[in-house]
Amino acid sequence: MRRSTAWRVFAGEYNDASAVVKGDGERVPSYVITPLGAKINRLFIVGVLTDVESLAENNELVRAHVSDPTGVFALYSGQFQPDVTKSLLEIEVPAFVAVVGKARTFEPEEGMVYVSVRPESVYEVNPDARDRWTLETCKSTLDRIEAVKEGLKLSQPNAYDLTKMGYSRDLAEGVVKAINFYRNMDVEKYVALVKEALNYLVPEKGGEELPKVDVKTEEENKESDDVDDTVLAIIKEIESEEGALWDDIVEKCMEAGLDRETVEESINSLMDKGLVYEPVLGTIKTT
Amino acid sequence: MVDDVSSYIDDIVSMIGEDAEVEREELEKEFRRFLEYGVPPDQAKRTLVKKFSNGKKVEFRKLSEVKPNESNVNLLCRVVTVNPKEVKVRGEPRKIFYGLLGDETGVVPFTSWSSSISLEKGDVVEISNAYTKEWQGVVQVNFGERTSVKKVEDDRLPEVSHEPKPCKIADLHTAFGEVDVTVKILDVSEKEVDVNGEKKKVYVGTLGDETGKAQFTAWHDFKLKKGDVVRVVGGYTRFWKGIPQLTFDDRANVEKVSKEVEVSSKPVPLHKLVERRGGLDVSVEGTVIEVREGSGFIERCPECKRLIQNGECKVHGKVKGVGDLRAKLVVDDGTAGIGVIVGRELTEQLIGKTFEECKRIASEEGGEAVLRLLRERLLTKRVALRGNALGDEFGTTLIARDAKVVDLDVRKEALELLQKMEGES
Repeated sequence: MRRSTAWRVFAGEYNDASAVVKGDGERVPSYVITPLGAKINRLFIVGVLTDVESLAENNELVRAHVSDPTGVFALYSGQFQPDVTKSLLEIEVPAFVAVVGKARTFEPEEGMVYVSVRPESVYEVNPDARDRWTLETCKSTLDRIEAVKEGLKLSQPNAYDLTKMGYSRDLAEGVVKAINFYRNMDVEKYVALVKEALNYLVPEKGGEELPKVDVKTEEENKESDDVDDTVLAIIKEIESEEGALWDDIVEKCMEAGLDRETVEESINSLMDKGLVYEPVLGTIKTT
Repeated sequence: MVDDVSSYIDDIVSMIGEDAEVEREELEKEFRRFLEYGVPPDQAKRTLVKKFSNGKKVEFRKLSEVKPNESNVNLLCRVVTVNPKEVKVRGEPRKIFYGLLGDETGVVPFTSWSSSISLEKGDVVEISNAYTKEWQGVVQVNFGERTSVKKVEDDRLPEVSHEPKPCKIADLHTAFGEVDVTVKILDVSEKEVDVNGEKKKVYVGTLGDETGKAQFTAWHDFKLKKGDVVRVVGGYTRFWKGIPQLTFDDRANVEKVSKEVEVSSKPVPLHKLVERRGGLDVSVEGTVIEVREGSGFIERCPECKRLIQNGECKVHGKVKGVGDLRAKLVVDDGTAGIGVIVGRELTEQLIGKTFEECKRIASEEGGEAVLRLLRERLLTKRVALRGNALGDEFGTTLIARDAKVVDLDVRKEALELLQKMEGES
């Protein structure tokens, strides 16, 4: 049996997954299908190990969390992986770690799916490794977004046509499954997720070779953060399922004492942070 | 809702024939009812065609439009080749047939699992109720117990001209029969071989195009020289662990062409390499996600070069081991993973430590220390590799001939990507 692919997926996408394909028989693996069609049996994560907790006596079950710029992976390691369990308990948190693991699911009741990771290997690494992984995962995620968009264009989404476009067989099958399983798929949410992660890699978008961005003092920064909080709160207050109209937001914020320019700037900044997005032109929705 | 219902109805009418005993209004009513229940329009169309055609008028499909995982496939085609094969199905011996079917649109492989079907090469046949699968990226037609095959008059189809298929090296694994390639000769040498007691000259070497490289064997002196660009029409491909080998003899048409062919050394995405199983002298890139046990400072038997454990060789017993350095990696680019074997010199370059230094570390701190060092230096790094890739049932393994760590300017790349995304939105 050939080795299964180690997918690069952000926690923000992985934790949204609720489609499970169960293999029957020993040698047929199970997969978790994410909303972007990653068909995951195994994954590769680099992030920050934030906590490790023993859930059973003699460290028979250990839970750990690994954080990336978009969310947190839950890891469960048990008595059948004594080496990995031991490594997890020995690492002093917080620490950068590289994890190869298997996708696991927990379904407490019908229709409710929690995904987690059963680590196969855990190694301590440096911050550069985390940055490389984040960049690579951004690229992988963008590839999947593209694949889903291509899949949605087909009158009858099918894996054969997608593989002919150059996507891997696993991704093509995953995308078809995702399109059929996740109704009203919100691809833009993951575009925002990638932007958030990329911004994380370029915290100060200054520098000579880059377009000029107003360099703000710390105080100004704090001030604009406060404005963002206010605007975000207003959006949350007035939005419906479809979001909130741009003009309504501006109006409400102006009532709250902000000027138009500041509000529009703040909505853009919230979009950059990935806290809100524009599902249709002129409508803003929180993520 | 579908606005062009009437165009679907037009399609249905044309498929079941104007003289079918059903009113257009009735068809439309049934069609809309399916749509109300959320049945996709194409599926509703097929269902109605099936219902009203009453099996009188069978729709034959062209081979070029057949897709994998279809059932109820009806074909009118010619049997291009057919061969028997003995297989075991659930422990029972069984005779099956495989070969090629052709029509004016193409040639596809088939397998007949049914014992009641008899086929002859050259027959024109009506096939009903076949099903399709996909094997290595190619559609394959299957005949099961419910499939029926009927021989019909020869003139129902033009003679299938089974011409060599124009092909790129990277697609050889999906080609059947003879191929037509335009390639550059990368090296060639003359060899004498013994064929049934008779000495024969063969010309062997490697060739390539912009998609990849292959080994070749020519059983005729075509005066090939290194650097020549030639079109070979009528060669056959075989594979050894996923490495393509092109064979041609005096029946092939080999001519020099003045076209320039750039032989690629661009990295191949790993899922493509794994799909092809292997490749000759391929370039790939990916991230090191594991440095396997058995990497680092190792000892080999001086007789057979096998790895020895506790000073003992499995074949030669107690021996004085000879030290060596190697890395066994798992490299994965997010689309697929492969094993990589890196020899002594390349490992030295990759980790920036000489064999002697590693030997000293091993003797002072133990072999585990060298493995730890390798993991520290290589895990999570992006590497560019080149070499032959061999496939077997456990996956694909690349034997590295070149290996280096790729320097990434993460911040710069992230910024470029961000600007590109902002430009698009």
